[in-house]
Amino acid sequence: MLSRVADALYWMARYLERGEHTARLVAVKLESMVEQTREDADASWHRVVEAVSGEEFAPRAHDAFSITQALAFNRHNPSSLISSLRFARDNARQVREHLSTEVWEHLNKLYLRLQPVTADAVWRHSPERVFREALEDFHTLHGVILSTLTHNEGYHFLRLGRYIERAQLISHLLDLHFNSRPGAVSPRYFDWLVLLKFCCAFEPYSRAYTASIRPEKIAQFLIFDPEFPHSVRFAVDQVVDSLSRVAPAAPPARRANVERLAGRLKAAVDFGQVEDLMGGTIVGFLADITRQCEQIHDAVHVSYISYGAETVL
Amino acid sequence: MQHEALAHTEDFGGPDQHLPSHPCVPGKDAPYQHYALGAPYDEMFTRGGAVHPHYAALDGRLTTLPADELLRRQQACEQTFLHQGITFTVYSDNQATERIIPTDLLPRIVTGNEWARIEAGLKQRITALNLFLRDIYGDARVLRDGVVPRSMIYGSKHYRREMRDLAVPHGAYVNVCGSDLIRNEQGDFVVLEDNLRVPSGVSYMLANREVVRRAFPAVFRSMSVRAIEHYPNELLNTLRSLAPFHEEASIAVLTPGVFNSAYFEHAFLARQMGVELVEGRDLLVNDNVVYTRTTSGLKRIDVIYRRIDDDFIDPLIFREDSSLGVPGLFNAYRAGNVTLANALGTGVADDKAVYAYVPRLIRYYLSEEPILNNVETFLCREEKSLSHVLANLDKLVVKAVGESGGYGMLVGPHASQKERDEFAQKLKADPDNYIAQPTIQLSTAPTFVDGGVEARHVDLRPFILHGQQTTIVPGALTRVALKRGSLVVNSSQGGGSKDTWVLSE
Repeated sequence: MLSRVADALYWMARYLERGEHTARLVAVKLESMVEQTREDADASWHRVVEAVSGEEFAPRAHDAFSITQALAFNRHNPSSLISSLRFARDNARQVREHLSTEVWEHLNKLYLRLQPVTADAVWRHSPERVFREALEDFHTLHGVILSTLTHNEGYHFLRLGRYIERAQLISHLLDLHFNSRPGAVSPRYFDWLVLLKFCCAFEPYSRAYTASIRPEKIAQFLIFDPEFPHSVRFAVDQVVDSLSRVAPAAPPARRANVERLAGRLKAAVDFGQVEDLMGGTIVGFLADITRQCEQIHDAVHVSYISYGAETVL
Repeated sequence: MQHEALAHTEDFGGPDQHLPSHPCVPGKDAPYQHYALGAPYDEMFTRGGAVHPHYAALDGRLTTLPADELLRRQQACEQTFLHQGITFTVYSDNQATERIIPTDLLPRIVTGNEWARIEAGLKQRITALNLFLRDIYGDARVLRDGVVPRSMIYGSKHYRREMRDLAVPHGAYVNVCGSDLIRNEQGDFVVLEDNLRVPSGVSYMLANREVVRRAFPAVFRSMSVRAIEHYPNELLNTLRSLAPFHEEASIAVLTPGVFNSAYFEHAFLARQMGVELVEGRDLLVNDNVVYTRTTSGLKRIDVIYRRIDDDFIDPLIFREDSSLGVPGLFNAYRAGNVTLANALGTGVADDKAVYAYVPRLIRYYLSEEPILNNVETFLCREEKSLSHVLANLDKLVVKAVGESGGYGMLVGPHASQKERDEFAQKLKADPDNYIAQPTIQLSTAPTFVDGGVEARHVDLRPFILHGQQTTIVPGALTRVALKRGSLVVNSSQGGGSKDTWVLSE
């Protein structure tokens, strides 16, 4: 498949994952803030802002409404929900021929539905509904991708983008909860509960470990669970599997570096255990996961997307 | 779903139940109450208001269907286009809006005899034009013999010196041509323009057929309309025949990208042919060989159906600020390792001045009389024509040959005496630079407007394929000026398009 097409599919999936993450964080936060004290709510808003927005675009306002507006609909903020969707759509548009009509239409609908929302009465009265509905649309879109696209190389580039983004987003979110910043309010019981909800993990976690909320169990679940789709390990498995299926005819020399990096990352999450991380090394571990994801990203680009003629002729 | 909704609305070829007792008269009876017959030739009605025999079946359907049913079918057509994404993009305020090109519900019908003449005329014309291009990029016999003035060719901004003495496969320079034909007041088809560079519109020809056939299934079936669906396959065969080597050729469609207004067509043709759609950044040239960059490695390309203008094709040779093209592509082309379709430099043969010479070129190269005429054109560089033009400035349209888009143009009947006098001075000062034509009346065809059927001006753009053989799929894009009285058929200015039915007999 054309390298440009593979690249656009990869980025489309990354941006969709990022948009879904933002929508979920904001929805969960809006729903849960009523049960928190003012101080706790501020601290946890701060974590949400850090999780989804760069320093430069972090909203200055303190009320939930303005923060939400900025995270979701600020077009100048490249990591806002609307920007992620716009970038996803731009990439999809470039390779529309490689998507099914259904995928294109659902993505388009999702993007268009969020356009006029700032002027909508629903947004004024119950903004969390806007995000819940957006989340439903995201979930539908993934179902449509799964069931209407041919599972060919392009599909595996989509999957690669989605899960490499997810591995990084979850690592970052965990870091914000386990890595106590000086002067910041430490997470309390309720924050750990919300963390699970940020990852759609509350119910699956309870089934595995009962509803007793314990940080090391949460780390165990969100990093090392092999079967939960929003765990780092699950995402890494998907990344590794996707990598084994893309660029099938690439010469071994160009595959080698990608495969080495993928194997190393897989080993880290397959053989790591939470007991080793609780002594304070979890922060370094999460940073290492993020760094390895970045290396894989770079290696894929160099090996399959942007290689020069001199490297193959 | 649209498909079914339409299919159930029409009987399947049985006799019509509600034939009107008397013929419906244009200008008087519904649905033709606003149908104006005038000086221009009309495709459906004779000057006396009788229906041409080949429009009888459509007339029968139009006069028996309730008006709201026609409207419903028109809306069904538009829905199909929107859903299939057959749209072009309009940019404003950084927001891209996708619009459909309006498709008229009513087909334009061409008889078998008319088509036979058009087909023969276009084959003759493209053969002569290709011989002409081979000549001016080779021995230049036509210039030495004084048939065409040297200055007109070597002074043309579309003449590419880089193409001199370059052999193109089968001597075929123009591989895809979309000629614009119009019908004059006598009802004869004449050529208005040869589009020899990167003509577009063929995807609309194919898409219109899809939707209009569904709107009138019984009429369609009763009329033995010739098929056009094989166009992509014929295009593929033509491109294959141009491959520089005999092994299975690797073919790609080269598009400027998703922001080009014809992108839909580029993607459509690539998909229909089953070949790769590429942009300039997908291609690279190494050692004069062209490759696409794929995830698995480089893949060699033999034939490129390029939908990018000459100027943008290779920044090393032509416009250096172009990022659409491929550095080194022209050298690979010169080396004979890749074929570009159309060849570069074909634009020299479709400018306004050369156009006037095409009938002479047909006689010169083929020793035949032109089957299809030009619109009457006066070359002001010829003294006799100049004096005629100067004497009849109030009746003629005068155009500067090097200009387009209405610049340097005088529309005699609409100009003031002062404007005409000023223009006459310009003409005398530089007669070589001007041609003149009578004001052109396009024929009219029935068009569905505001719930009724009215006459609107149309042209006809058939598509000619020329590789090892010449092939013309029996169909065309009919463009229609949707505004009453307008002669402008361009989609950017209120034009729409129609399905064109070419009959077997």
